[in-house]
Amino acid sequence: MGQTLYKAEITETPILRFAGHNFEPLPSGGLYWHAQETLLVADLHFEKMASFARRGQMLPPYDTGLTLARLESDIRRTGAKRLVSLGDSFHRVDASSLLTNSDRMRLDALTDLVDCIWLSGNHDPAPHAIGGTCLPELDLGGLTLTHEPKKGANGLMAGHLHPAAHIHIDGRSTRRPCFVHDNRLLILPAYGASTGSINILSPAFLGLFHWPALEVTMLGKDRTYPVSPKRLVRG
Amino acid sequence: MPDLRVTTALPPIIEDWFAGKGWSPRQHQLDVLASWQAGASALLIAPTGAGKTLAGFLPTLVDLVDGKFDGLHTLYISPLKALAVDVQRNLNAPILEMGLRISAETRTGDTPASKRARQRTKPPHILLTTPEQLALLISHPQAEILFGSLKRIVLDELHALVTSKRGELLSLALARIAKLAPNLQITALSATVARPDLLRDWIAQPTLRETHLLTTTGGAPPVLEILETEQRLPWAGHSANYAHADLYEVIKQHRTTLLFVNTRSQAELLFQGLWAVNDDMLPIALHHGSLSVEQRRKVESAMVAGELKAVVCTSTLDLGIDWGDVDLVVQVGAPKGSSRMLQRIGRANHRLDEPSKAMLVPSNRFEVLECEAALEAVAENHQDSEDPVNGGYDVLAQHVLGMACAAPFDALNLYDEVRRAWPYRDLPWEQFERVVDFVATGGYALRAYERYARLKRTEDGLWRVANPQVVQQYRLNIGTIIEEPMVRVRLIRSRGFKKGQSKSPIGAGGRVLGEMEEYFFGTLLPGDTFIFGGEIVAFEGLKDNEAFVSRAQSANPKIPSYMGGRFPLSTYLADRVRLILDSPDEWKKLPDQVSDWLRLQRDVSVLPRRDSLLVETFPRGTQNYLVCYPFEGRLAHQTLGMLLTRRLERARARPLGFVASEYALAIWGLGDLSALIRSERLSLDELFSEDMLGDDLEDWLDDSALMKRTFRNCAIISGLIERRHPGKEKTGRQITMSSDLIYDVLYQHEPDHILIQATRRDAARGLLDIERLGDMLRRIREHIEHKPLERVSPLAVPILLDIGKEPIFGEGRESAMADAADELMREALGSDPI
Repeated sequence: MGQTLYKAEITETPILRFAGHNFEPLPSGGLYWHAQETLLVADLHFEKMASFARRGQMLPPYDTGLTLARLESDIRRTGAKRLVSLGDSFHRVDASSLLTNSDRMRLDALTDLVDCIWLSGNHDPAPHAIGGTCLPELDLGGLTLTHEPKKGANGLMAGHLHPAAHIHIDGRSTRRPCFVHDNRLLILPAYGASTGSINILSPAFLGLFHWPALEVTMLGKDRTYPVSPKRLVRG
Repeated sequence: MPDLRVTTALPPIIEDWFAGKGWSPRQHQLDVLASWQAGASALLIAPTGAGKTLAGFLPTLVDLVDGKFDGLHTLYISPLKALAVDVQRNLNAPILEMGLRISAETRTGDTPASKRARQRTKPPHILLTTPEQLALLISHPQAEILFGSLKRIVLDELHALVTSKRGELLSLALARIAKLAPNLQITALSATVARPDLLRDWIAQPTLRETHLLTTTGGAPPVLEILETEQRLPWAGHSANYAHADLYEVIKQHRTTLLFVNTRSQAELLFQGLWAVNDDMLPIALHHGSLSVEQRRKVESAMVAGELKAVVCTSTLDLGIDWGDVDLVVQVGAPKGSSRMLQRIGRANHRLDEPSKAMLVPSNRFEVLECEAALEAVAENHQDSEDPVNGGYDVLAQHVLGMACAAPFDALNLYDEVRRAWPYRDLPWEQFERVVDFVATGGYALRAYERYARLKRTEDGLWRVANPQVVQQYRLNIGTIIEEPMVRVRLIRSRGFKKGQSKSPIGAGGRVLGEMEEYFFGTLLPGDTFIFGGEIVAFEGLKDNEAFVSRAQSANPKIPSYMGGRFPLSTYLADRVRLILDSPDEWKKLPDQVSDWLRLQRDVSVLPRRDSLLVETFPRGTQNYLVCYPFEGRLAHQTLGMLLTRRLERARARPLGFVASEYALAIWGLGDLSALIRSERLSLDELFSEDMLGDDLEDWLDDSALMKRTFRNCAIISGLIERRHPGKEKTGRQITMSSDLIYDVLYQHEPDHILIQATRRDAARGLLDIERLGDMLRRIREHIEHKPLERVSPLAVPILLDIGKEPIFGEGRESAMADAADELMREALGSDPI
């Protein structure tokens, strides 16, 4: 076993330019839109682990709390006034009623603090009974925000697919969730603590992007990394 | 042990059978019978070829000879399905020849469901099975009736079971059966081990019966030598390429040669190398765990039929089954341990009175030292096998659920029963309670899942399963063997490659070559070549959990770097290697190229002493190196490397990376380590202080891929996550991903959770080898010898050659992304195109 541990640090904050707007990609998987003072997140999947428990798999009931902590920290850090969740905020339609008391109180505090917009997703198509506004989709600053990506879109931001990039460089390889866009369609990584991911080279992404214009930004530990698409591998 | 010979008269029919064969019963066979007749259990320690199987079953044959017994009499447990089948065959021969009315059946995963159901209600006299099948049997409500009549359990190859989780599972099953079968006596068969007394206690614990330790001695001592060669011995690497021609000559001179290697990739290389020089087209075969079952069976039967001249194999041929007329065992690569070596040597010449013949082939210069150490250890018949392990909470959780499936249980009663399993003899009540709580609701401090509980309390305080799905889930997730996620490898016609881009889509079909770990393909690009099943193949692509490859020509194929099969160097052999290094008088035994190497080391640096740690520091290129020689095995060195780089970073020595081998550890960085140490800004005693196993370890474990891998196993075994669902098989990748997420979530919130405790324990003695590292740090405390050098030392050459060769798993991931980001930046700036 051998490895390189440290690299010269890149300190500047990466800017993600999409459809003429500037965004700040956060290592948590959130995307901050300064001009709109809005934090965008996708696929929170609150109460995912608890929903396994009802099938007899007692996964730790802490994922919702962890996801909430990430949200709280991102909002504090960015000073966002608005939160837009791009669907699949809850893992199940009825999950908002299953929240533990403490998680429920934290979520209420959050919806009191910022203007929350919950877009519907395939996991949570119906409006839920928590603070904020539930909408099917949202137009903001000339862009459309929705859950599921569509082919031939122009200025569409979506989630749903949980994109991840797997790169290979000098014998090392790493696979992490990522932002991916072609300047017409942008897909956010899944934000929830309990969410898995799908390689952007897999068939689920087929035909969505104009390949030569592809830009990929991977989530690191404390920062994000825009990476060269030619380093992408499957798996 | 008492002399019981006088009492062991055999029934005439058995006496006659021996006589008819021209045999007489061996003393240890009679000893086992005598122990049984004295109402005792017995541990028989004997080398292979000593008629152990018959010894194990003789009391059963004697007891059943009158044909009057009804029900299950004897249970035989083997670590291998194939061994159970083989033993049944060997047992049925005398039963038939004596015309006894004794039924013997196997029960494995391959046994049809109808037959298994029948075996539960109308069992044979003798049932031959595996620990996993036994666990399933005792989880049935009928177990009480089934095992009520049981009188004997025969445990085969017990030494191989007690060091693993399978042994923990087996011990718990024995504790349960001992309760169901009041007349139970246990006979265990084992190869020679370091601590037979522990093995005896292990057997005695469930029944608390007197247990005799029976040892067969004798057998001619083995003849063991190191391959002599005119070739140049390599500095590093594990391929032993230099030896292929010499080995081929050796194979020619023997009837049948068994060539053992330590990993599957070494097996592939050796097989390839031997065929490259096989001018006489000798039948030389390959046998390892990744090949398809049919392929392996073919090799095995050709072996038994005496059709093969040589077989290259891994530990798949370590155990039990008799493969016919082997007259030479060759160990290629480091032997790793004395007991392992002795057992492998025992595969040659299954006759006690003739010496077994074996040869060691070191694949690099350090391994010459290890082989020399093994030679001495084998001559002294020194045993360094692992001791039986204490029980883990994951296996216990599985067992607790199984017992609830059998019948509602009282927690205190089950606790008392569980402690009759040797690995759990010291289990505290509080921990047992936590395990029960874990099985019921996940055992979380945040008690969120009471409403979904898998176990519920009845009114009279018993724990019962909440619903039938729980039982079904248990049955599907039983066992402790967690395979790496595997994909099937199929051979198809090449589709042609242009710069790594594939042309046509992959169709279906193609011959199955075998299976390989899924992660391996994650490191390949289409068109990459590697050796598999003795053929050079090119990777075509992955599709639906199958990997497609085509035949290829390549001078430099990538070799599969398999996870499995890397045994660490035993502590005992490591100490002997240090002793040889420290005793120049001993060097005359070594080949000249090796002793010259050591003399050179002595002249330009110093030699590692037996009881201290040599640390060399030297500049090379733009970087500075620290190389130390603990000889504690790659796993412990990896952990040490991880922890030392953290400390060096704090000491502002700016470390960049490290590489670990079985013998040494090298760390490189930008800081001038020699100067830092000279000016006392860096103290080696502090750097290597044992307290690194405190906070530094804790910080690292937090995000360690090794912990996550260990956690995944614990989570599956304990039933937290499922191996498979009825009707829908999860793919390996899905399980891996979700278990990593679960670990992250759980570790952050409840680092003291019972499953994190289980993971920590397993990692400490497994992938991280912390126990051994701790022992080493204590041993060398204030015995560090620092040697600042102008340039690399002779002893450091092998480890520096390893840099960049070994792929890494898990850590250091940020650097790959940082480099890819740099690259993109350079592209954007139009400089340094790639």
